[in-house]
Amino acid sequence: MSPWERRERGGLYYTRSRKEAGRVVREYIGSGPVAVLVAQMDALERERRVEQAALWRQEWEELDALDAYVNEVAEASDLLVRAALLVSGYHQHNRGEWRFRRELKECQ
Amino acid sequence: MSSKNASKAAKNNESATELIEDKKKLMALIDRAQDGDRAALPVLRKVLDEAPRIARFVDLARDVECSIVKKISGDDVFTQEAIPRNLEAMRKEIAGESPSPLERLLAERIGVCWLELQYFEAVYAQNMGKLTITQSDYHQRRIDKAHRRYLSSIKALAQIRKMGPAVQINIAEKQINTTGTA
Repeated sequence: MSPWERRERGGLYYTRSRKEAGRVVREYIGSGPVAVLVAQMDALERERRVEQAALWRQEWEELDALDAYVNEVAEASDLLVRAALLVSGYHQHNRGEWRFRRELKECQ
Repeated sequence: MSSKNASKAAKNNESATELIEDKKKLMALIDRAQDGDRAALPVLRKVLDEAPRIARFVDLARDVECSIVKKISGDDVFTQEAIPRNLEAMRKEIAGESPSPLERLLAERIGVCWLELQYFEAVYAQNMGKLTITQSDYHQRRIDKAHRRYLSSIKALAQIRKMGPAVQINIAEKQINTTGTA
């Protein structure tokens, strides 16, 4: 919906819409050069918010990518630690504590 | 070595290489060993023998570290120099005297996890006043995750060391010593 409302007498009236408790509320700003100025300021503010959101998105994506790489290092080293422990005769008791296998201990 | 044994060894080598590249397969093999399948152990030994391939993860950790340092320092060349030096000192202290490749990898992991945590906390602190509730939540969750990962990296190294002489895996010399008391 356009923020400019045409009045019966022919003039254009600048309005702002916002949500209040789930309902759209229209705020009437005015007409003439002052309203044009307010409309331009609002448009600039909207542009600024869009740019800000794009910057945030870009930063989040970069942080996500970084996080994914660190995660890969962590997962790989976890697997190698598990492999090392298993090869050395340990087993994980109920997915918790690592214990030495009794049968291997007895063989040595 | 008979031709049958040689071909088996070649197959083992090949599958060890494949396993390092393919985490899902390695995880499945570890699960098999965990469930008591002794046949999985020789292949796991081969995986641990593949030192140059394990070094790939060390390189990956260094690459991540470089990107974080670049992000933190920007054009500040002093910080660009200082952070890697501090990290190197930290890694050496953590890894200790003549670490095994696995210990070295774990020390790298602790270093990179610590740096990542510092970076996330700094980003959050810098933007604290400007964040919406959703953005703030997002940052907090990310910091919590990085913190958990940092703690688990310390735990992994401690676990390897706690097992003492039983887990002396000297990959560089292609020797695995599983003797010792637990």
